Amino acid sequence: MEREHNNHYDVIVIGGGITGAGTARDCAMRGLKVLLVERHDYSTGATGRNHGLLHSGARYAVTDHESAVECIAENMTLRKIARHCVEETEGLFITLPEDDLNFQSTFVQKCNEAGIRAEVIDPALARVMEPAVNPELLGAVKVPDASVDPFRLTMANVLDAQLHGAEALVYHEVVDVLIEQNRVVGVKLRNNHNGEERSVYATVTINAAGIWGMLVAQMAGVKINMFPAKGSLLIFGHRVNNMVINRCRKPANADILVPDDAVCVIGTTSDRVPIETCDDMRVTAQEVELLLAEGMKLAPSLGSTRILRAYAGVRPLVASDDDPTGRSISRGIVTLDHEKRDGLAGFITITGGKMMTYRLMAEEVTNLACEKLGVAKQCTTATTPLPGSEPVAKTKKYSFAQKAAQGRHGTLDAGISSGDATSDALVCECEGVSVGEVHYAVNKLHVHNLINLRRRTRVGMGTCQGELCACRAAGVMCDGNAQRTINDLAGFMNERWKGMQPVAWGDNLAEAQLTARIYQRLLGVDRLASERRVEYYET
Amino acid sequence: MGGGLSGLTAGIALAQAGKDVALVSAGQSMMHFMGGSLDLLGSDPSGNDVYKPLEAIATLNSKHPYTKIEDVSRLAGVAKQVLERVGLATTGDTTVNHWRITPIGGLMPTWLTVQGMATVADPDQMPWHSVTLVNIINFLDFPTKMIAAGLRDRGVQVDVKAVTLPELQVLRQSPTEMRSTNIAKVIERNDLIMKLADEINAQVGKGCDMVMLPSVLGIASGDKASQLLRLINVQAAYLDTLPPTLPGVRMQAMLRKHFTALGGTFITGDQVTGGVWEGDELKGVTTAKLEGDVLKAKHFVLATGSLASRGIVADYNHMYEPALGVDIDDLGLDRTTWAKLDVTEAQPYMEVGVATDAKLRCQRNGKTVANLYAAGSILSGHNSVKLLDGAGVDMLTALQVANNILNQ
Repeated sequence: MEREHNNHYDVIVIGGGITGAGTARDCAMRGLKVLLVERHDYSTGATGRNHGLLHSGARYAVTDHESAVECIAENMTLRKIARHCVEETEGLFITLPEDDLNFQSTFVQKCNEAGIRAEVIDPALARVMEPAVNPELLGAVKVPDASVDPFRLTMANVLDAQLHGAEALVYHEVVDVLIEQNRVVGVKLRNNHNGEERSVYATVTINAAGIWGMLVAQMAGVKINMFPAKGSLLIFGHRVNNMVINRCRKPANADILVPDDAVCVIGTTSDRVPIETCDDMRVTAQEVELLLAEGMKLAPSLGSTRILRAYAGVRPLVASDDDPTGRSISRGIVTLDHEKRDGLAGFITITGGKMMTYRLMAEEVTNLACEKLGVAKQCTTATTPLPGSEPVAKTKKYSFAQKAAQGRHGTLDAGISSGDATSDALVCECEGVSVGEVHYAVNKLHVHNLINLRRRTRVGMGTCQGELCACRAAGVMCDGNAQRTINDLAGFMNERWKGMQPVAWGDNLAEAQLTARIYQRLLGVDRLASERRVEYYET
Repeated sequence: MGGGLSGLTAGIALAQAGKDVALVSAGQSMMHFMGGSLDLLGSDPSGNDVYKPLEAIATLNSKHPYTKIEDVSRLAGVAKQVLERVGLATTGDTTVNHWRITPIGGLMPTWLTVQGMATVADPDQMPWHSVTLVNIINFLDFPTKMIAAGLRDRGVQVDVKAVTLPELQVLRQSPTEMRSTNIAKVIERNDLIMKLADEINAQVGKGCDMVMLPSVLGIASGDKASQLLRLINVQAAYLDTLPPTLPGVRMQAMLRKHFTALGGTFITGDQVTGGVWEGDELKGVTTAKLEGDVLKAKHFVLATGSLASRGIVADYNHMYEPALGVDIDDLGLDRTTWAKLDVTEAQPYMEVGVATDAKLRCQRNGKTVANLYAAGSILSGHNSVKLLDGAGVDMLTALQVANNILNQ
């Protein structure tokens, strides 16, 4: 048996999205020996492809009381434990002439029932509070919405899991689930960088792989009825609004506009798609048109704002187990104890839910895992700040890059070298990323390539979309292998293009041509690259 | 109209021939992104390197702007002469391409390279045994690790060093200032160039047969850049950096100076906003800054560039030429077919430009405008990032337009 001590865990968590990261953290904080595995990079699935909205729950108040209650509780919790990931913007629910103003009173009442502070305000006041809002609005309600950085939030959970002893492996894909006598005993992993395979073992294996959890369950021989629901979004080139703007009506397409950092995001659409397509989601011209048309109703100036890119994620919706037709879709969090449900011990699936409620999902599934392991320790994730959000005396930061880094990494910025000319040299001017921050990300935050770096530091996320900063970063990160570095640049360029291509007109197309002249003609990236295929997970 | 490579080349050729020329320029041009090399044809349509550009040009399809050049070989020679007369001596000619070293350390085929920059005649036989790559400390637009790795892959031994001068400290206070043009502004002083040469010489070890430096000298002329090279103890040359690329900035400045010296009027920071038409003839153009005034001329040349220079504009549904509203050759494309999914594929939008007749005259409402010509990357029918033909198209179509005007 190769199940020696260091190869056996209490818990293996499959999936490096926010749910998996949160679960790994919770398990580790309860003293369990944890291994987190992710087939690509952290937050490559739905976690990195949503609005970045810290829901107040108001959106669900009328249609789904339970979700609304969960949201507002988690909203208040995340403001405390993840303050370096959250921007407290507040939100508006506006009624437009085409909407029914009578809905507003129902909405406010349901919000109050769910414990969400919803305050009706004069439309004129709403226009003062949020100058970007459609001036034709007939009504406005203020709610405690906010924006959250999902990349940062996921990373903070991973870091905390590791601080509590968890191990984490990125680019390690589960290729088989190991079963012995109706019990899952571990998984076989493939290293996606070098193809090597090995087995790891655990008493409990938790499937937290989002929509791909359906395929993981299949490997274990159990069936989960999931409905991949594609949601497309557009990112605009600057921050048009400072408050989240929602439509005060039943949830529909493209009715939320969220300010995130220096940009803003409109979304989403919602379409059922086949599971086979989830690895390569493309935004269609029709979706772009719909998002733009609806977005302009929330904030008319979006019509004259450059669209930076389009992207799409897949929600893991789950059919209720008690509905044999599979038509009734569960709302909220779904925890499947496969021992009870399918007679397969040692295996739990956590799915459904939303990014907002990841911590609660983690708590529920960790409770179940602890029960199976006979561990009685209580959950403390709701009261323990994440790394980067610990309460400390405010330290003064002077330079643009130092302030930007503190904004991104919270108190973890202490690990970034600064104050000398080499560390302070700027790699990315739009986002204020220094050489010191690039080194920090490479050394501490599992950065293997430029796209990983973008997720950790926002390099290339600004209006220039990586025109020069990606190349500077490649120069800083180069390990002496010219071909690998150039392939990395080619991959980065193609990945950026994937988001720009559906919105390639106006300034975007002009910018694309300039980028091509720099990358392809001046630098010669595409001619020098030996490989430029970009896997879905890198996009 | 247009102060880039094509507009300036046409302006110089016409002023040289005794014409009274005014040139309206919006300001920064694509030359700032061009580096120190000019391409004629570096790649065939299948992506293979081109060794003998004239032979490959003969096989280009009928849409390519080169098909409207009467004698490519002759005008290419004239283009090289124009640069030389301006003070920009170049390496290279039309018989065979040479290779430039890109800012990330790769080799790319090209036609002419400004003297003082490192070039390679045969990519399979590197001319140096041991190169010392000397950067300015913290100048991130010269990724030495990548360049060194690229050269080492070709069998060259490379030492990477970095030097600085106390005077550069002023730039470091704001890291966004560490760009090639700003560095040049600080160090273009005789005493500092000598100090810099000392610093560089101190880094060069035994056996080094080539010192490579980032192009951070010579904004207005190549004098200071040459001066530094002469002070280095071994053979030395510059490499292109990330933009702004100084050799391109310098090329524009020197072309402009020469144009003015020939009596041309250079109107900078302005752009053409519309035409004054009489029937199908263009009588004059209005500009943003010359309020109410009309610039009148016998002939007009539209050289305002492609999308990146806003010589062509794409709105939600179609592309158009914004200055004069001349006809676009949209190649039958619409928004859904402009761009392909893979960025490295040839992108169809790149080939959209203004429609011209065999004499490079523009069209308006389907009719040829007898006195309005187009030159450079505003022309339809070629993809300069795929064919590596940008500078050649700019200069040769500009010279051809000048000939067409002079022969009329």
